[in-house]
Amino acid sequence: MKKQNKTLIIALICIGIAAILPLFISNNYHLNLMIQVLINIIIVLGLNFITGLTGQMNLGTAGIFSMGAYTSALVATKSGVNPWICLILAAVMGIIIGVGLGYPSLRVSGVYLALTTIGFSEIVRVLMTNLTDLTGGALGVNNIPVFSIFGHEFRENKEIYYLYLVIALLLIFNAYRIVNSKWGRSFLAIKDNPEAINASGVNIAKLRIMAFTLTAVYSTIAGSLYAHYVGFMNPSAYNIEFSINYVVMLVIGGIGSVAGNIAGAILVTIVPELLRFIENYYWLVFSIITLLFVIFLPNGMLSLFNKKKSMKK
Amino acid sequence: MENNKESKTILELKNVTKRFAGLVAVKDLSLKMKERTIHSLIGPNGAGKSTVINMITGLLPLTDGEIYHRDTKISGMKAYQIAQTRCSRTFQNLKLYRSMTVKENIMTGMMMDMHQGFLPFMFDFKKARQEDKAMNEKADLILKFIGLQELSNEYPANMPYGKQKLTELARSLMLEPSLLFLDEPAAGLNPSERVEFVDIIMKVFESGIDIFLIEHNMDVIMNISDDITVINFGSKIAEGTPEQIQEDPLVIEAYLGDRYKKEHGKGGRKCLK
Repeated sequence: MKKQNKTLIIALICIGIAAILPLFISNNYHLNLMIQVLINIIIVLGLNFITGLTGQMNLGTAGIFSMGAYTSALVATKSGVNPWICLILAAVMGIIIGVGLGYPSLRVSGVYLALTTIGFSEIVRVLMTNLTDLTGGALGVNNIPVFSIFGHEFRENKEIYYLYLVIALLLIFNAYRIVNSKWGRSFLAIKDNPEAINASGVNIAKLRIMAFTLTAVYSTIAGSLYAHYVGFMNPSAYNIEFSINYVVMLVIGGIGSVAGNIAGAILVTIVPELLRFIENYYWLVFSIITLLFVIFLPNGMLSLFNKKKSMKK
Repeated sequence: MENNKESKTILELKNVTKRFAGLVAVKDLSLKMKERTIHSLIGPNGAGKSTVINMITGLLPLTDGEIYHRDTKISGMKAYQIAQTRCSRTFQNLKLYRSMTVKENIMTGMMMDMHQGFLPFMFDFKKARQEDKAMNEKADLILKFIGLQELSNEYPANMPYGKQKLTELARSLMLEPSLLFLDEPAAGLNPSERVEFVDIIMKVFESGIDIFLIEHNMDVIMNISDDITVINFGSKIAEGTPEQIQEDPLVIEAYLGDRYKKEHGKGGRKCLK
């Protein structure tokens, strides 16, 4: 069977499972978790562009995500703007952040870039906490409106799940197209050998900024979806731990691959919840699982299904 | 092939100097390469040959001097801008994309000829498909030309060194260069791979691409070059045809040695086989 047909069949089966799953679930906690999985998939797909493909370590996910969430939340609550327009504004904020963070990435790389993105994230968190007149400070922003279509408000978890599933599928399709196009190959070439792609007539500075922008747009869209889902935002959760969590999803699933990103996001969102019965030890057990993945499956769990590709490294 | 003395200059280095802190790697080097020739740059290890190619292709900035490609001043331009003037290159140490297959590696060489920007790519599915198809077809042609079609879905790390070198050469051809820089293409190849590689270099030249070559293997150099420039300690010590270079006492003393002259006849382009 042709590789493309095989991919399409697997994708359709996965979409089918994602579509019928809520029909068998009535527990709100489980639906919450599934919505969180969709949001996390979007963030990891975005992170894949810069960290997975171009190999630039971005630890600023918390800052970018919260910028998207706050942009959407503040515009919606203070100006009464429709949440869909707020979502678009959050994406525009992503473009601004992506270009702004992309430029330093031309000068610094590796540990220094990681520190730059952590710095950005911390600045955002401190500003969100201290600009109390605008953001509500530590008390946060309340009463963020939900999404609505033709007057129908999406308040039930099941409805929100299906709405977010459609948005996530569009973004997955988009990410798949980019990863498997000239753009994806060029991003990967930057990671593998920047001098060679430069000598092929490609402006890698432009591509790096583009990859950062894609990452930021995906994260700010996820932030906006999150804000309109929970209806409340405060800055306390958006620290370095938040950002590292998404790098873990990327590594466990499989760097560079869209399917790997999705698998990583599902696994790393659900496993800690399944381990809650061991109470305070669950992070310890989860960390050991992560460590085992990094040691024995450095190309992520999808490499189990792609032996040829895993041989190459 | 007869060396055409009247042909146009396509590459010119004018008093090029490169200093790394206190070390002068290339000193006041001037040379002219004529159109439809294979021009070789030779010299002992550490003479500054790769530094010269790296400066021409923009990977290293010049300390002093100027470089022209077909009347366009390329010194001071960025590497990707120089490549856009249809100057392509291979590297002394292979620079392949290890996480891509041979065909994907080759396709990246055509990126600058893909005119569809990112936003049109996102929304114009038809044009994106057309461009992708064109890229695939061109990569298949190059793979066939180089003789790598059987290995198109293989990863470089799983291939012999000679095939990896051919992959890099194929990628450089995707740019449709008018001038191709080959940095020690025969290094590390066994004798049969070397013969195969030289045949392909000749095929590339005959397809209309001029070649600037750095190589240590004198059989290769003397058999396929039209003109040779010899450098030692970063300075030019001789230039001329292979016959002239083999007779030059300075070159014999600094690089070739007396034994070479005794063991080899006169040069001129001929098949290594």
